[in-house]
Amino acid sequence: MTVTLPRPATLPRERVRRRLRPDQARSRVAAWIAVAVIGLFGMFPVYWLIVTAFTPDDRVFSFPPSLFPSRITLDHFADLAKNEQLFGYLVNSVIVSVITAVLSVVVSAYMAYAFSKFRYRGRKSLMHLVLASQMFPQALLLVTLYAVFSAVGLLGSYTAMILSFTTFTLPLCVWMLKGIFDTVPGSLMEAAAIDGASRWRTLHTIVLPLAAPGLVAAGLFAFVRAWNDFIFALTLSSPERQTLPPGLVHTYLGEFQTAWPDLMAASFVVSLPVIAAFMFLQRYLVGGLTAGAVKG
Amino acid sequence: MTTMNRRDALRLLGLSTFGVAALAACAPDATGGAATGDAAAKTFGFTSWSLNEAAQKAAVQAIVDAYAATNKVKIATASFPYNEYLNQVVLKLRGNQLTGAVQVDVAWLGALAAMGKLRDLGAQASAGGYTDVALSSGKFDGRQLGLPWTTGSIGLIANTELLTKAGVDGMPTTIDEFEAALGKVAKLGGGVVPYAAATKAAQLKDIFPWMQTFGSPLLSGDQVTIGDEPSVAAVEWYKKLYDAKLIAPDVDRFDARALFSQGKAAFYDDAIIARGVVASQSPDKALVQKMAPLSRPVLKAGDTPQALLWGHVIAVVEGEGADAAAEFARFATSDTATVADFFQKVQLPPTTTAGLADPKVAGDSFTTEWTEKITKTATANPFWRYAADAQIESAVAEQVQAVLVGNSSAKDALAKAAEAVEGLQK
Repeated sequence: MTVTLPRPATLPRERVRRRLRPDQARSRVAAWIAVAVIGLFGMFPVYWLIVTAFTPDDRVFSFPPSLFPSRITLDHFADLAKNEQLFGYLVNSVIVSVITAVLSVVVSAYMAYAFSKFRYRGRKSLMHLVLASQMFPQALLLVTLYAVFSAVGLLGSYTAMILSFTTFTLPLCVWMLKGIFDTVPGSLMEAAAIDGASRWRTLHTIVLPLAAPGLVAAGLFAFVRAWNDFIFALTLSSPERQTLPPGLVHTYLGEFQTAWPDLMAASFVVSLPVIAAFMFLQRYLVGGLTAGAVKG
Repeated sequence: MTTMNRRDALRLLGLSTFGVAALAACAPDATGGAATGDAAAKTFGFTSWSLNEAAQKAAVQAIVDAYAATNKVKIATASFPYNEYLNQVVLKLRGNQLTGAVQVDVAWLGALAAMGKLRDLGAQASAGGYTDVALSSGKFDGRQLGLPWTTGSIGLIANTELLTKAGVDGMPTTIDEFEAALGKVAKLGGGVVPYAAATKAAQLKDIFPWMQTFGSPLLSGDQVTIGDEPSVAAVEWYKKLYDAKLIAPDVDRFDARALFSQGKAAFYDDAIIARGVVASQSPDKALVQKMAPLSRPVLKAGDTPQALLWGHVIAVVEGEGADAAAEFARFATSDTATVADFFQKVQLPPTTTAGLADPKVAGDSFTTEWTEKITKTATANPFWRYAADAQIESAVAEQVQAVLVGNSSAKDALAKAAEAVEGLQK
């Protein structure tokens, strides 16, 4: 039976706010200063990116540098809009990142469920084998994957990039989801079994919905990993399949010169989808990352 | 949370070792095997970072298109960003994924030559009319592995307006005159850096020509001479400039260009393309007219001014389409009309006697002055012949930086640098 208690009447703000002792006030001020300093430290590069994107070319290297641009221009954004090649990089990034995220979540969900809920010989070794793959130097993996994809004719394809990105995202996704599945009570699954649900149905209708925040967190992690990758995307793709990070480097970083304002404008625009995704899915992300951290 | 006990940790270590061994077994061998394909094929690749650089891509593509149309060949182009270019080319050569002509920075020729896949272009070189200094930039172990596309040098550039303001009469020709000029510029104040010399580790290889200026050969045969008396004297001199604030901390080539383009540096080191880069960055549209190349000051009058050779060559990979690619490389680098037109578009000096004499090139006083004062005596970095050249340069740069920040004496630091370099000579 559920009892609903009457909510206390809202008190005027002045009455709710308690007077802080001097030492409490000092700690609170110190905490706010610490947060402000850390925030400034974290956000300043973003601020500088935006300022540079709006600064005319002949002012970018002004010395001493100015925190606030004396003149601003939209030319770099206009140039960006005219660059069809960048749109192609963007489309490639979206395709590769979305498929990597979906593939990582699907595969890691089943793997994690098997590790969490089944007991079989070699389970722990397999789990550690998955984790061990995270410990290889990327350069070693790159050379090997290049040889393998070259041998099977996949070089320059989306498939090569998606498979390689998934290789890196799977271990963390599996361990993250295993932690979450561990927190799903066995009694819940036993109840489902008593009601006649198969293991397959139990997984899809009970366990996965409960683990939704974790699935979103794993998907976001995989998406961002694929979105940001530079060296694998550069090496395994063809010019037509190139994603944004190598595409931007290719377009704006040269032997003699770097088009900083254009690069910053492009970086700002291409980071918007990721920012939007994070804002939209933030509550799942926080819940998902911490869900498996503590066993109840 | 799953916890890990000692047995788990050992298991993980064992699996990691097994995995690394398995990966290593799957990795391609160092050379990637012998060249394959029909060398006489009329289809070949052309790999070039310039094909995607805003300032050059149209000019390079025009050369490719013109040659393909005239000679009825098919050229498949590919490009990688300059900073990743060498790694990508090496990887693709190992995987036998790269054929045809390849643009190569002269500093990388040694690393690629070590793979044994480049064709000797001696026949094309002898028919091309190249200058001796240009030809030397494409030679490795006596073989002509690259045809010089552009040959220049890294040398000193001065802002003549700042020098005049500081009361410096004429360009300094000796180290003493140079120091005196820097001292006068320093008195200008206003945040002007007298000499925007490289002081960041990433660019401190710029100290090599100064070591040579003081008399160190850097390498004698296979014997590393870094750490000898002249090289120590050069680093001590550099440190003296640093302590006197005549050179500034934390400067690399990009910073130096930025300072120079803002009129905040009187001297800096750069390649001949500096003119175009500075022009695009400077709010002073007349700055280009105030730029003057100068020979690196010498220790005593009569010495040969030192400069680092710089440039691009086109190499050809043995295998599919190699014959046609070699002819394309010869055309792109030595056809007088083509190289003169290329110079007009991108300001990169040609490498043939006829190209340099073409009115389009000879009429450009900055280029002719640069060629005469700097490129004429430029020499290759002796460490380029080693595959680990980049690590060698880093090893020396780190030790020089330790001297600049006061963590080590020049003698000790260069002794350590020499030891590190000896370990990297392969």
